[in-house]
Amino acid sequence: MRFKQPSVLPGFNLAFGYTIVYLSLLVLIPLSALVIKTTSLSLAEFWQVVSSERVVAAYQLTFGASLIAAVINLFAGLLVAWVLVRYSFPGKRIVDALVDLPFALPTAVAGIALTTLYAPNGLIGEQLAKLGIQVAFKPLGVVVALTFIGLPFVVRTVQPVLQDLEAELEEAAACLGANRWQTFCKIIFPAALPALLTGFTLAFARAIGEYGSVIFIAGNIPLESEIVPLLIIGKLEQYDYAGATAIATVMLLISFVLILAINLIQWWHARRHGMRK
Amino acid sequence: MSIEIQSIAKQFGSFTALDKVNLKVETGELLALLGPSGCGKTTLLRIIAGLETPDGGQILFHGEDATDTHVRERQVGFVFQHYALFRHMTVFENVAFGLRVRPKHTRPNNTEIKRRVHELLNLVQLDWLADRYPAQLSGGQRQRIALARALAVEPKVLLLDEPFGALDTKVRKELRRWLKRLHEEVHVTSVFVTHDQEEALEVADRVVVMNKGRIEQVGTPEQVYDTPATPFVYQFLGDVNLFHSRVHGGFAQVGEHPVAGDGAVAYVRPHDIELLREPAPQTLVAKIDHVRAIGSIVRLELSLENGDPVEAELSRDAYAVQRYASGERVYIRPRSARVFAEDYAI
Repeated sequence: MRFKQPSVLPGFNLAFGYTIVYLSLLVLIPLSALVIKTTSLSLAEFWQVVSSERVVAAYQLTFGASLIAAVINLFAGLLVAWVLVRYSFPGKRIVDALVDLPFALPTAVAGIALTTLYAPNGLIGEQLAKLGIQVAFKPLGVVVALTFIGLPFVVRTVQPVLQDLEAELEEAAACLGANRWQTFCKIIFPAALPALLTGFTLAFARAIGEYGSVIFIAGNIPLESEIVPLLIIGKLEQYDYAGATAIATVMLLISFVLILAINLIQWWHARRHGMRK
Repeated sequence: MSIEIQSIAKQFGSFTALDKVNLKVETGELLALLGPSGCGKTTLLRIIAGLETPDGGQILFHGEDATDTHVRERQVGFVFQHYALFRHMTVFENVAFGLRVRPKHTRPNNTEIKRRVHELLNLVQLDWLADRYPAQLSGGQRQRIALARALAVEPKVLLLDEPFGALDTKVRKELRRWLKRLHEEVHVTSVFVTHDQEEALEVADRVVVMNKGRIEQVGTPEQVYDTPATPFVYQFLGDVNLFHSRVHGGFAQVGEHPVAGDGAVAYVRPHDIELLREPAPQTLVAKIDHVRAIGSIVRLELSLENGDPVEAELSRDAYAVQRYASGERVYIRPRSARVFAEDYAI
């Protein structure tokens, strides 16, 4: 592989330089500053901050709930995308627009709305309470909020792929004797898998960093329903900047490793199927 | 297995795709559905496969009504114009797909599947590509794999929808001959759709010429080319010159064909036009506009006195003797012609 491929479109140097500057200004420099600030702590102090019981519990909740929410969205998102692509029904455009609402709604509004619904005296919470399930002010509430904000990512990445999926592929499968379930499992799902993974990654990444919608419904009970971003805010409010950046650095590291891993899976998948040389 | 198509009709909105079509495909033959785009040939093929439901009429497979049989149970092999290979599967898995999705009690075991797939890949001469993915193959290779995949389920009928339509001319020619040979080997009843007359005439045992949702003529390649039943067939299969009796007077009477009186049109193939240097009875005067040597033939573009264009074809040898030059005045007459009434217009 060569660094620069000859192209009919000029401007590689300019475009590449712009990309580097842009990414540096927006991503690399702020994040490096974060890491540099952390180094004002000694290693022992750093370890003490990030390994405290309360912080570890928050890490577990944030990554655990984000993962569960992303998995839920993986299936729910595929289903919604499928219905929107394959069927036509009255009000389809409205439903299609509804999918984007979690993108547009201020997250705090979403959080308050969800809390009102799921609180023990709320519309849904009341019914669930009869079954002995409490959603609001529990880790389950965090999952609900994260599922809400993650849904559009999966739907919007999978939708175009399903749209482009040739009907001929399904016809070919049917001619070869496959039933609908086999056609879905062996033809449609694998075709949508790369897009599903992308949607999953986006939803997961978004959920890890989510703050606004979660803090209302979570109840923020230390060791039980307290998320990492809230801990960071807490540290900042006590002017413990180094402590806040220490927690953030670890979070950054885990997120980066996870997202890199998913990207590698995708790259490997594409390569295996000869889509990339 | 024979296929009988009985007054099949299909509408798409106000467009009539098929207008009560009747056709019988004999066991083991290779039949071509030939026609311009929009003539209904692909719709007919898809109805035979069960991918489309007819508005009326019946399809009989081997004498049994199959009109309402689901595509899954029809046991047809279908080859698509754009291959429709499963991109995420290797060539091997693509061909094995039809065997792997069988219900448990009829599914062959893994060694049997392996044997069958390699047998088919050998049949299409691509066994060495078994571990590749479709994206790594050329167009011709993909279509051969698609064919192997369709044959894997041992279909009673093989249906091909413009199988070579997406390939370049040279690969097309190769695959045509290859398909013909393959059909002689496996001898499954096959129907293929094409808009390329050369392809239909070269490959098929019988050709069905379709136009506007109707069948114009059914016959062997020689029959449809030499004795076209309608002006449409005449025009669609190769180039043709039209002479209106109204305009060209006695010209339409030449040859053995009887005069159809006023309002008759004579159809003459370019290679049936005879060029003379001396005036003779029942000829027309024409001026040679262009002379073009194309491979084994020489094509002459002429114009009559009233400006109507006429095309003539000579063999290289004949041209070498006569040496016609552009701008020259010649006398033309047809060796053979077919006369249709004028209102039989296309």
